Amino acid sequence: MVLLNINDLHVRFDTNDGVVHAVNGVDLTLEPGETLGIVGESGSGKSQLAFAVMGLLAANGRAEGSARFDGTEILNAKPRVLNKVRAEKIAMVFQDPMTSLNPYMRVADQMAEVLVLHKGMSKRDAVTESVRMLDAVKIPDAKGRVRLYPHEFSGGMRQRVMIAMALLCRPQLLIADEPTTALDVTVQAQIMQLLADLQTEFGMAMILITHDLGVVAGSCERVAVMYGGRIREQAPVAPLFADPAHPYTQGLLAAIPRIDETEAELRAIPGAPPNMTHPPASCAYAPRCPYRLAECETERPPLEGFAPDRKRACFAALDDIRAHRHRVSITADEAATAGPLEDEPDDALPDAAVAGVGAAAATHEVKQ
Amino acid sequence: MFGYILRRLAVAVPTLLLLIVFSFLLMHAAPGGPFTGERSLPPQVLANLEAKYGLDQPLIVQLWNYLKGVVLQFDFGPSFVYPDRTVNGLIADGFPVTLTYGLLSFVLAALVGITLGVAAAIRHNSWLDYLAVGTSIGAQVLPNFVMAPILVLVLTLWLGWLPGGGWSFNDPSYWIMPVIALGTSYMASIARITRSSMLEVLGSNHIRTARAKGMPERRVILRHALKPALLPVISYLGPVFVSMITGSVVIDIYFSTGGIGRSFVDSALNRDYAVMMGITILVGALTVLFNLIVDILYAWIDPKIRY
Amino acid sequence: MVIEQDKMRSLADTMAQAEVKGRSPWADARKRFVRNKAAMAGLVILVLVTLFAAFGDYAAAWSNEELDYNVMGQVRELGAPSIATGHYFGTDDLGRDLYARTVQGTRISLMVGIVGAAIAVIVGTLYGATAGYVGGRTDQIMMRLVDILMSIPYMFVLILLLVVFGRSIGMLFLGIGLISWLDMSRIVRGQTLTLKNREFIEAAQATGVSSWRIIMRHIVPNLLGVVAVYATLLVPLMILTESFISFLGLGVQEPLTSWGALISEGAATMNYGTLWQLAFPLFFFCITLFGFFFVGDGLRDALDPKDR
Repeated sequence: MVLLNINDLHVRFDTNDGVVHAVNGVDLTLEPGETLGIVGESGSGKSQLAFAVMGLLAANGRAEGSARFDGTEILNAKPRVLNKVRAEKIAMVFQDPMTSLNPYMRVADQMAEVLVLHKGMSKRDAVTESVRMLDAVKIPDAKGRVRLYPHEFSGGMRQRVMIAMALLCRPQLLIADEPTTALDVTVQAQIMQLLADLQTEFGMAMILITHDLGVVAGSCERVAVMYGGRIREQAPVAPLFADPAHPYTQGLLAAIPRIDETEAELRAIPGAPPNMTHPPASCAYAPRCPYRLAECETERPPLEGFAPDRKRACFAALDDIRAHRHRVSITADEAATAGPLEDEPDDALPDAAVAGVGAAAATHEVKQ
Repeated sequence: MFGYILRRLAVAVPTLLLLIVFSFLLMHAAPGGPFTGERSLPPQVLANLEAKYGLDQPLIVQLWNYLKGVVLQFDFGPSFVYPDRTVNGLIADGFPVTLTYGLLSFVLAALVGITLGVAAAIRHNSWLDYLAVGTSIGAQVLPNFVMAPILVLVLTLWLGWLPGGGWSFNDPSYWIMPVIALGTSYMASIARITRSSMLEVLGSNHIRTARAKGMPERRVILRHALKPALLPVISYLGPVFVSMITGSVVIDIYFSTGGIGRSFVDSALNRDYAVMMGITILVGALTVLFNLIVDILYAWIDPKIRY
Repeated sequence: MVIEQDKMRSLADTMAQAEVKGRSPWADARKRFVRNKAAMAGLVILVLVTLFAAFGDYAAAWSNEELDYNVMGQVRELGAPSIATGHYFGTDDLGRDLYARTVQGTRISLMVGIVGAAIAVIVGTLYGATAGYVGGRTDQIMMRLVDILMSIPYMFVLILLLVVFGRSIGMLFLGIGLISWLDMSRIVRGQTLTLKNREFIEAAQATGVSSWRIIMRHIVPNLLGVVAVYATLLVPLMILTESFISFLGLGVQEPLTSWGALISEGAATMNYGTLWQLAFPLFFFCITLFGFFFVGDGLRDALDPKDR
């Protein structure tokens, strides 16, 4: 049985600088209890994909396609339908715990209102239950701290509050959007461990959205790599790391610093992500791709299965990629000029596109 | 909270004292004032002043007498022009009128402005939004001294619906034009500020969280968005209040409502410094008081402000 | 009418960010500004009004002081706007040519607005930048003073000053300019503080770049955006203030005139059926305010683009 079935999902934003195509025809499925990682650099559309499913796109965003949860269509569903699903069936944890909690409400009120609304609990019971959940996410002295405002917590503690709030209704699916990006490294590991523990404890499925392959390796069963609003490679976690089948995945893996390698320099992917206001009709990765062929510049490779449970969208021969046989050598300059970039070279999504509900904090996570 | 109020008061009190001292010195230095002896004042007025200030005393003693009167008894002394009138008498006559239409106008401007702004933000890019934006842009160039003649032209001269001036506490038809003329441009500004602040808040992360929690839109707006959206509006209400008191001068002149604005302008034209000062200090006190209220309101809403 | 302080702060932040990224915000801003229809319309209006103020005299058939004795006493019947009599905008109550007077009023109102705004911006910038750059105790005292001055009922004090020191136009310039620098100084101080603590400034200081050069190279260009927007939005505020005072008869004195004085005269006589005396000054007053608002808003939105 499939828990979540996303079909041909598109997300667009109308901005002053034109239409931004953030997500372009994504298909994904998720089984109950499964953990799926969605990986990509900022602007790859991975967060917007999740926002679209939850109906949380900014006011200037539109979603098309289909997303069925437990057989019910939830994409662009009526508020009444959507509000039944949100928090109760699918809960979400956001990137920036500093701003994602309401700074003007006590933690107790923010958490209790979820239970009052969805479970019809009394305020008193709801607060008691909230304290229990804060205990579960290992917040010390939860009973005393529940009366505090968010700004009285540290970053890591705030993210724990966020997680506790998301789990209040015991959802079947938790979407965690860069849950650790804004946190210190030591705290990151604790939060990831906590998420993994809670997932087993509650038996829920999880979608983990991140730019950090390292996070994925430790916690996911299956991974989808996104680039330019499309899925480029999809595979179980072990083969993806051992044997990347897409040049972009390979580039991402090469960019992870490894302690056992003596090489002094990190191998960054040259160039910048594509401008999503004018997405190319060809492979969006081609300008940065060392394996590119003539057809890469004219046609778009479809996402096709090539082994059990494994899919990739690339024209280059698998053997070439496996053997690192580069066809062209890419310098940073060339890649930068080869991309169809106009006036906003730094931002794949113009600022205006993400101003609004879907706004993510402007962290620079591009591995260059 | 108590300590916070005390600290705000610690700023407010010197402000007022400064204003009083400054006005007094200005009055003293003013050419044509009673203290310079350039202008011959009616003997009765001089006698009043002598009794109040002791004109032959040193400046500092006169200032002390004035301060004592203002602070302890709220007594602004005698008029420089009318032998039988005191500043307090003039204020007592005019202030209730100004306060009535002023407060009414202020409350209406705030309520209508905030409602309009919130509605426009919720229905962003709808006809309601465009209407609100259009109105508020248009009303920016309609300050009270432009609104007043236009209202009289339309409602009195053309339609004959409302009396073109005068005042009666018993007949609200006299109140309508002063209230509208005074409040329109501020209503528009409040609507504009509310709208843009609400739009900003609605796009913020914690509102996304509230939606992700499955809150109905009504609750998202009233419970989660309204408070932060009102913060900039509240801090703007202080200046609005001051501007409205200032605007009441035009209203009093144009509609002959008999408020303190009339006395102020008359005294400015007659060089009746005592009346000018009295009114200026009164308005200063109101301003300080109102800013204090705004600060308290702000601190009450925003938990991040330490008391 | 109000300058939205929140948006100004946001603009200041954006400008500071741009400085950090080392990207000029002006290049993109020009493109955005030109694309903004309201702002361009505002600019056209302002150019036309300025031309009117500068060269309107040459088209006038009457001077602004001459009395038309044919019209006197029968302004309602004979003083209406007409090409034949040379009174394009009609005459005022005394039989003076309203066109010439409107030109004169436009000149004075624009001048008061621009000079007042300039004074406010200069004082505000210097004060705020000093407080921010010096910091420490000085900063605290300077800003506390701003707090205190904030709660003084300015219009009343200004009128008091005008009465005490005589209603000269110079006093009016100065008084109006000095009432609006407070908000400006706060924003400039904030921006200076942000910039001061940025790494690249610290780096410049560490490598021995002089304070003067740092201020000229990094702080001032950065303040330019805020200052430009603020100045543009202050001009209409200053015009409003001047008109307010002149409407009360306490501002510009005869034989000089301004929009406020003309509107006041027009409003006083409109029930005699001489509506044009109100309509023409009011028209110029309104379109000019619109012009400044649109240009100011457009400039700000161009420098600090947000989907509003």
